[in-house]
Amino acid sequence: MTALLHAELIKLRTTRTFLALAGVAVGTSLLLAVLVSLLTEPTEESVLGDVFTSDTTGLFILILAVVGISGEWRHRTITSSLLAAPDRLRFLAAKTVAFAVAGLALSLAISIAVAIAGFAILTARDLTTPALGELAAQIGRNGIVAMLLGALGVGLGALVRNQVVAIVGVLVIGLVIEPTLLALEPEVGRFGPFTLPNAVAGIPEEDGGLGDGVEMLSPGLAAVAMLAWIGGFYAAGATLLRRRDLD
Amino acid sequence: MDTAVPPIDIKGLSKRFGAVQAVSDLSFRVEPGRVIGFLGPNGAGKSTTLRMLLGLVRKDAGEASFGGLAYEDLPHPSSQVGAVLEDASFHPGRSGRNHLRVLAAAGGHPRTRVDDVLEQVGIADAADRRVKGYSMGMRQRLAIAAALLGDPEVLILDEPANGLDPPGIRWMRDLLRYQAGLGRAVLVSSHLLSEVAQSVDDVVIISHGKLRASGPLEDVLGGADGAVTRVRSADDERLAAALREAGMAVDLQASGALIARGTPAAEVGQVAAAQGIALTELVAVSRSLEDAFFELTDGPAT
Repeated sequence: MTALLHAELIKLRTTRTFLALAGVAVGTSLLLAVLVSLLTEPTEESVLGDVFTSDTTGLFILILAVVGISGEWRHRTITSSLLAAPDRLRFLAAKTVAFAVAGLALSLAISIAVAIAGFAILTARDLTTPALGELAAQIGRNGIVAMLLGALGVGLGALVRNQVVAIVGVLVIGLVIEPTLLALEPEVGRFGPFTLPNAVAGIPEEDGGLGDGVEMLSPGLAAVAMLAWIGGFYAAGATLLRRRDLD
Repeated sequence: MDTAVPPIDIKGLSKRFGAVQAVSDLSFRVEPGRVIGFLGPNGAGKSTTLRMLLGLVRKDAGEASFGGLAYEDLPHPSSQVGAVLEDASFHPGRSGRNHLRVLAAAGGHPRTRVDDVLEQVGIADAADRRVKGYSMGMRQRLAIAAALLGDPEVLILDEPANGLDPPGIRWMRDLLRYQAGLGRAVLVSSHLLSEVAQSVDDVVIISHGKLRASGPLEDVLGGADGAVTRVRSADDERLAAALREAGMAVDLQASGALIARGTPAAEVGQVAAAQGIALTELVAVSRSLEDAFFELTDGPAT
């Protein structure tokens, strides 16, 4: 498993797509943090959520994971991958862990950069800053969100062989279907796989799309619910992968 | 791998895709130190057979094993079996070296093997270029390099000459012989007999998913049955009966000529003379390996 994980991480690092999207994640996260730090005056209660949750790694690692697994079919590298790792469940598990690890590492790097930039600007403006312990906990939650979304992306991408359909499908679910469900049935929508990350990250309810009177799940419960989604998608993707003939 | 059992053993393999019976009750084995030509026209079922052997396509029936173990049960698959499949594909944005690094890592092979095989297949100079800039021949060499990474005991190559130029084809033939010389089992598929005839020890010929012949190349495609004689006479019916009575296999062609298979022209002439039948034509038909191959596979490869 360690060898397969190593191989998957090399795959990740040796394509321009990863480097490009990681760069965009760094850029957008820092831009958001800098703009919010410069243009708003967060309170002691809101500063953590306003400035230090701007890590966009989750979105990009999700897309990268979908691209990573569906790209195996697009470029037909699935054949050489499965020749090297004939146990298809282990192959999918290695890919899932690889994207989770990549999401965590990227998120930690970005969150620390965001923390440094946000802290510097807020201090220079003589505004309130969060306690270091709270900040460290937030960085950890950001990392967990990215880790979970990386794993979720592999499970989702494993369901569809066509890369474009897979990416569009994920965007439609995340940007159309789930927000609609959240608006119509927030008690149900808060359990959606693209809403739960907000709860894991501790993003305030109003910013997470929930209306009045509906509470977000606690970060711990939300993480468990996310793991359930990941397990479900992994099981479905693995079942399909095992049944598919590579003819 | 247990050497008491053959490196490759296929027993009763069958596969159906919808209405098409791609492979039907196919059995053969490959011994160490031999190059086996797995021959048949396009669509004969060669690639499906190889993919079932490698666990990429599920079998409907039968067994396929390497030293007694199914591919998916091999503890170190890339150290035991190296495979080049017909549609060998690569991520176009990854360099040849990085493609091999991925496979070396997955197989637990040292990184130095990447440089070794790049040298071995002659693309070391292009190793750091992205694969999308490679020619077909370079991609084929890269695929062969990937198969050699684990220094495997068994090599499986599906149409390996595709994309190779004449020097490349000669290099590939030398590689096959070299690997067999090391005691390895080599199974190489092709729809063109001429590509592999010079380098194989044995052949397995399939058509429409069924085994047509197997054994040493000359025995299967030439040998005792190789001679073919075309003959015409004043009384073809009586001549045909006389030849059959003499134990010869005779067909009457639409053109009216008789074709005697497995019989030299001189023997046909002797039978005709003994019966007092005047011959108007007696020709020893030149029968190439390709002709014999086509006969076994129901026509020219397309």
